[in-house]
Amino acid sequence: MTSWFIRLVSRIRGLFGQEGANSEFDLETETHLQLLTERFVRQGMDPKDAWSAARRQFGNATLLRQRHRESRTLLFFPNVFQDLRYGLRMLSKSPAFSMIAALTLALGIGATSAVFSLIQGVLLTPPPYHEPQQLMLIPSVRTDGQKMDSPRGWAAQQWMEWNEKAGSFQGIAGYNWTFNFLIRNDGSQSMQGMEVSKDYFRLMGLKTALGHSFDDSDFGQGHVKSILIGYEFWQRAFGGDKEIIGKTVRISRWDSSPVVIGVTEPGVRFLPSPGAAKEPNYDVNATVDLWVPADPDPKSLKSPDWNVVGRLRDGVTPQRGQQELAALTAREASADKAFEGFSPTLESLTDEMNRDGRRILLPLLGAATLVLLIACGNAAALLLVRGLQRQQEYAVRIAMGMGRIGLLRQVLSESFLLAILGGTLGVGLAVSAVKVFKVIAGHAVPRLDGLTAGWAVLGWGLGLAVFAAFFAGAIPALRAYRLNPMEVLKDAGPKGTAGIGERRLLRGVAMLQTALTLALLVGAGLLIRTMIKIAEVPSGYNTGLILTMTVTEVQSRANWGPFHRQALERVAALPGVQYAAFAWGVPLTGNNWPASMDIEGQPPPAKESDTIALPLRAVTPDYFKLMGMALIDGRDFRSTDDDKAPTVAIVNQAFTRRYFPNGNSVGRKLWLGGRNRPAVQIVGEIVDGRTDDLTQAPAPEVYLPLWQANAFSKHLVVRTMADPRTVVVEVERALRSVDPTAAIENVKTLEQIRDESLAARTFAMQLLTGFSVVGSVLTLVGIYGVISLSVVSRRRELAIRSAVGAQQSDIRRLIFGEGIRLIAGGVFAGIALAVILSRVLRSFLFEVQPSDPVTFIVVAALFVGVGLLACWAPVRRAGKVNPLEALR
Amino acid sequence: MSADKSEVLQGTLIIMILKTLHALGPLHGFGIARRIEQVSENVLTLNEGTVYTSLLRLQQQGWIESAWGVSENNRRARFYSITRQGRKQLTVETENWERISNVIGRVLRLEVQK
Repeated sequence: MTSWFIRLVSRIRGLFGQEGANSEFDLETETHLQLLTERFVRQGMDPKDAWSAARRQFGNATLLRQRHRESRTLLFFPNVFQDLRYGLRMLSKSPAFSMIAALTLALGIGATSAVFSLIQGVLLTPPPYHEPQQLMLIPSVRTDGQKMDSPRGWAAQQWMEWNEKAGSFQGIAGYNWTFNFLIRNDGSQSMQGMEVSKDYFRLMGLKTALGHSFDDSDFGQGHVKSILIGYEFWQRAFGGDKEIIGKTVRISRWDSSPVVIGVTEPGVRFLPSPGAAKEPNYDVNATVDLWVPADPDPKSLKSPDWNVVGRLRDGVTPQRGQQELAALTAREASADKAFEGFSPTLESLTDEMNRDGRRILLPLLGAATLVLLIACGNAAALLLVRGLQRQQEYAVRIAMGMGRIGLLRQVLSESFLLAILGGTLGVGLAVSAVKVFKVIAGHAVPRLDGLTAGWAVLGWGLGLAVFAAFFAGAIPALRAYRLNPMEVLKDAGPKGTAGIGERRLLRGVAMLQTALTLALLVGAGLLIRTMIKIAEVPSGYNTGLILTMTVTEVQSRANWGPFHRQALERVAALPGVQYAAFAWGVPLTGNNWPASMDIEGQPPPAKESDTIALPLRAVTPDYFKLMGMALIDGRDFRSTDDDKAPTVAIVNQAFTRRYFPNGNSVGRKLWLGGRNRPAVQIVGEIVDGRTDDLTQAPAPEVYLPLWQANAFSKHLVVRTMADPRTVVVEVERALRSVDPTAAIENVKTLEQIRDESLAARTFAMQLLTGFSVVGSVLTLVGIYGVISLSVVSRRRELAIRSAVGAQQSDIRRLIFGEGIRLIAGGVFAGIALAVILSRVLRSFLFEVQPSDPVTFIVVAALFVGVGLLACWAPVRRAGKVNPLEALR
Repeated sequence: MSADKSEVLQGTLIIMILKTLHALGPLHGFGIARRIEQVSENVLTLNEGTVYTSLLRLQQQGWIESAWGVSENNRRARFYSITRQGRKQLTVETENWERISNVIGRVLRLEVQK
């Protein structure tokens, strides 16, 4: 062992200064030969004879020199370069083969590294908080285990007590989502912001890029005096103005103009505020525009309107934290009825942030890996066949004394070169794929805007290339390693044929590819069927010819009514506009207003968690007509249903079914904010619609007249006669003519909103379909190759068969049978694989089971059909074998 | 087959070189070849080049070391000398050799008796 090590060290040393050592050895040899010659001359030899005698006695100097060099140093490195040079020469000798193999690998590597880069950018990049793994969101659940109709926060009194008493936490802070406008004379700009309690910045470990963070004097009741703004908003709205610190800004609905005291570092995004998730402008994945200091109001310490985040102490498990909080909460609930019925759960912030991304990206990574495996299969088959063509060469090399390891290294270095070539092309593909993803998947994958196609893609691509090299090169290399040169040299058969063993191996590879492709196809098929089902589902409202935009009057409450009435009048009068309405709660925006209410005939809630909470929406009179939502009972809203008239509401069928199963809801009453408040009269009932989500059954809904509900931010909805996009400019001009400071944002057709609500599914479907097309093409090429090789290799056998009387059709049937067995085997294995794998798609499917038999049958039949087409050409060639060949 | 032969030869050559350097002090390759020739009394024919292969090995093992010097007729030559480790190794190798040749001798005598 030690002597082995000593020799290795001196050999490594020998790697350097090779040239010097060589010439020293030459010098030594020469001296020796001269001394020997002189000695022979002294013994009386002729000088010429003496020289040759000396050489004889010394032995073969060249061989010796070679051996000397070999034992002096490690030959691995010089040889690797030699192998690579040789491999490069061989590859450039057959450019067609090399290009096909490299392109094949490029497709697999490109697909996989593109998805990897998404994962790296979206899932593996931590949020810019200090030690994010310690951060825990603390949402509430019902203690009786039932689902809540709408999410509920925590009362300030509760979390402030936790912050004081919970020993497993370093601290606990409250926060909320807030929405406002930066008032500007040329159209105001919306801001999503966070209201945060005193400890928030310190607890999260957030830093400022400019200015400073809040200090305790910024917190207090009354007007907000100071704010922070987010880095991205600073760039967007203020052009990165360094002088911003100390300036005041005008914000809608605020009585005072606060001072900007700092700008946070870039990339800070929201923490989820489930209670606000139904607001029209809520986007948890956006970067925070505005930070507002918030101190719990002593007058409303018991209202459950805070979201809570906590940081665990080092080494404390979430379970322990949760137990401690649950105990504290139970004590609070027994002391005060207002806190009864809810308990806290701990969710890791990073898990919560990555939930949507993981749901879509992990299945896609799986699909991309399948494509890579299929591509590796093809490359391996190509290399194997090429190895067969060069068997003679290998045999001669072995016979001439090339070591097996040397041969193995040479074969592997060729596949390595191919993979590097494929990897480079693949990285190119991946970079453009990532760019395409950013365009088409903006609504499907969260936080995609922060992703850049940079070194990550390159790293992943080259890493995968090395993996592919060994994967695709292993079989051919091992075959070369075990080659018996005697057999090959004796056999000297025609080039490019394969023995039964190789053909079996290749069939196995093709079968495996078929199985993997089938799994991909099934995934794509299931998603396509889902999209068809979603398209067929009756939504209950129109989506065509409808334009929407968020419109907000930012000046004053007194101005609110006149602005909206005037705006509606002007927009409705535009040519090309059929109806115009304002609505809070446009379908598929996820937008509504969860409110607790009492309903006539329902018992008063025994405890807080039994309160009925239903989504409210608010609309102007023409809305139902505009959306095509039919009124089935009672009356529509009228423009006289305003703040001077008695309060009224319209409900949907689902509401009636749940709360008045044996009668009408029209004429009944409900109460918002307690039975001691004036009742709201139900005056109409409309048909059900899938307003929240196309894949969810309609839920009970309550609509209020907008003139009574006074919603702040809302959509303007416009029904047009032709393409809605043609009226955008006119509508905006009409709105600005009423008030130039009005904020007009998010201009979208309802179709667009619909597509965005399905974006994750659409993206998964598009990508899986793309992957399975690529996979199918590669596999069909593979099947074609295997059957063609089989025909070439069995030529002599086929000729003999036809010479002894087999008909052309018999021979065709023989080869066809080989193809069918291959495809059928692969398809069966693929179905088994798909049954297992398709489960990961479950959350994307709608009215389709992961083991949907229709999809499986259609996909399998389709693939068998196409697969047999791939066999067609070789089968025809087999039929044409000339029986005379048998005799030659 | 030829590999086996060279192995045995190499093994013995190494002992001979070590012993020579031990007995005569620093020598160059030519000198070592001459000494072996002289001692073997022309019974052993040696490809003198192989001496250098063995010298390299011995050097890699650290049993001998070398330095450039001037030979008796003013030629540049590399002089090899045995190290302390090499002396130890020589004792080990000598014992080994004697044990093996004893055994082989006994085996051969057995054959003669039969």
